Amino acid sequence: MIDIDIDLIYSILSSTLRRSVPLLLAATGGTFSMRAGVMELGLEGMMLAGSFFSVFGAWWLGSPWLGLIVGIVFAVLFAMVHGVMHIQYHVIGSISGMAVNLLAGAITPLLLNIIYGLSGKSPMVNGLTDSNIEWFNNIPVIGKILAAQNILFFIGLLIVVVSWIFMFKTKYGLRMRMVGENPQAASAVGLNVKAYKYFGVIMSGCLAGIGGAYLSLGQMSMFVEDMTAGRGYIAVVINAFGRYNPIGALGGSIFFGFFDAIQTIFQSILPSQLVMATPYVVTILVIVFALKGGKAPAGTGKHAEH
Amino acid sequence: MKIKGKSLKSLDMKNAFINSLYALVFSLLLGMVFISITGYSPLDTYRAIFVSSFSSTKNFALTLSQATPLMFTGIAFALAYRVKMINTGAEGQMYAGAITAALVGAYITNLPGIIHIPLALLVAAAAGGFTAGIVGYAKLKTGANEIIMTLMLNNVVIFITGYLANGPLKPEGSGVGQTERIQESAKLMKLIPQTQLTIALLIVIAVAIILQYMLDRTVFGYEMKVTGFNLRAAQVAGIKVSKASLITFTISGAVAGLGGAAMVLGVNYRFIEGFSSGYGFAGISIAALAAYSPLAVIPAAFLIGILRAGTITLSRTTAIPIEVVDVIQVLIIIFVAAPSMIRAITGNFKKLVTKFTSNNEKSGGIEQ
Repeated sequence: MIDIDIDLIYSILSSTLRRSVPLLLAATGGTFSMRAGVMELGLEGMMLAGSFFSVFGAWWLGSPWLGLIVGIVFAVLFAMVHGVMHIQYHVIGSISGMAVNLLAGAITPLLLNIIYGLSGKSPMVNGLTDSNIEWFNNIPVIGKILAAQNILFFIGLLIVVVSWIFMFKTKYGLRMRMVGENPQAASAVGLNVKAYKYFGVIMSGCLAGIGGAYLSLGQMSMFVEDMTAGRGYIAVVINAFGRYNPIGALGGSIFFGFFDAIQTIFQSILPSQLVMATPYVVTILVIVFALKGGKAPAGTGKHAEH
Repeated sequence: MKIKGKSLKSLDMKNAFINSLYALVFSLLLGMVFISITGYSPLDTYRAIFVSSFSSTKNFALTLSQATPLMFTGIAFALAYRVKMINTGAEGQMYAGAITAALVGAYITNLPGIIHIPLALLVAAAAGGFTAGIVGYAKLKTGANEIIMTLMLNNVVIFITGYLANGPLKPEGSGVGQTERIQESAKLMKLIPQTQLTIALLIVIAVAIILQYMLDRTVFGYEMKVTGFNLRAAQVAGIKVSKASLITFTISGAVAGLGGAAMVLGVNYRFIEGFSSGYGFAGISIAALAAYSPLAVIPAAFLIGILRAGTITLSRTTAIPIEVVDVIQVLIIIFVAAPSMIRAITGNFKKLVTKFTSNNEKSGGIEQ
């Protein structure tokens, strides 16, 4: 039997938050893309690129923070492959997104082999450490949980708030949403539709890249082949679940983070393969039963020209 | 009318062929960049890959047997794409087909091969079809995104079959995750002795011919085409779009399931955990290269099979990573998906050439 004690609850809550960070970052990135009317299916590939290249950057430049920047730059480059295919050459967004996912899935093991001569995982590098801010311990109850979080958790929360303000409280956010709802109309009133779409794609690459870096630099201090393990796709579902709103993405990420976190408890009583399948089963159930009535921005996949 | 229609169709096919050819050439050219990073000469590498595939009967058989599972997954993707559905679930459907074929092959005894093999194939097709069918049904009922659904289901199927192969179905004394060896009567006949080339190749060619015939010559094929071309027009024409999509997607999964059975009954003689080395995703690039025509998948898969088998052979003696092939496969998808990108590249190239030649003429003129 499982002993329910206070330490276990603390560890689940703290683990839930830890596991929600990459989902949260990727999903918020996806919000930008979707609100600008570009399908966000490429998040998985952008995350994977972020996790590989951030480790590569940290190894190359010796600093995890510079590594994070390298990771973001490459994740944005991968996002641009999708962006150019979709926005410039009108390839269907889910296909260009899929292409980015497959590209990252093929290139990262190849580079692992070429650069390190290794397969499966990279050497260890200096990672981004946990925040360990003593001050948090002064807060009752949740202080202990917050103190156990990585610095990227707090950056992630800040990003959610800023993204929400940008999208719903600024005129540029309003314009971006207009592009997402009706690109022809947006174009008719003189908005640069392509620029807003590229902005959405770049933001999605940037945030998904940080999410990927969290997995590699933040949690393991190394890159493991296919370490995103479908989180980019789960982020797409979270986004639909959270109605393409950063705050909704936060809620959805914590929900999925929880199912990711409770795996560790069941690991001792159930076969590991069955336990590892749970996040995917939960995702499928959410897609089938919880996404009804939620609509993507009306102009998703549409272009202003012809 | 008929003649006009036919010529239009052949024009379409010609364009698709040229597009695929360009995509292949560009992908191989970009692949050269990665090969040269590894320090090998790209041209020598390509030559070695192609030579090794044709150097002996055994190597040729290796190429064909490498290509066989890719033909199944390629047809699976191509077929679903005809109704504008994206079946990224071939991997999971293959695993479902493989585990059921392994069960039928191992635990049903005292059957003659002529019954045992078709039975195992049929069950595998049903399992693959079911795995795809539930996604198709969910899409129909709730509008669920089939890409994410199939990808998530892939993980679920792979984990569950992994559990079975490591738990209840694991033979005693086995160190790795696998099931009991199948009966002699369930093994596919070999086309060339001492190779992995079996009648699975003939089966997949037959499947391709049947599906191509269905697409081109039957009412259902016509409904599929209209459905894929324009959903609203199909509805106006009284075609049950949802039914056509669901059936097509299920058949697509059944073909992938057969691919899994072919691996179990023809190559491994049991279900082995993680047996597929990315066959599902290679299928996407093969289908793209074949312009989503089931019959054209056969030669397209053969080409990719040459690349894969050749690189596997090369990687034994050199440090050329096998992953190069995966990158080339993805590049093919990208270039095929964006014909306008190819036109832009070739257009710029032509401009560059004319500029270059006209410059040459000019400078030539000055010299004279």
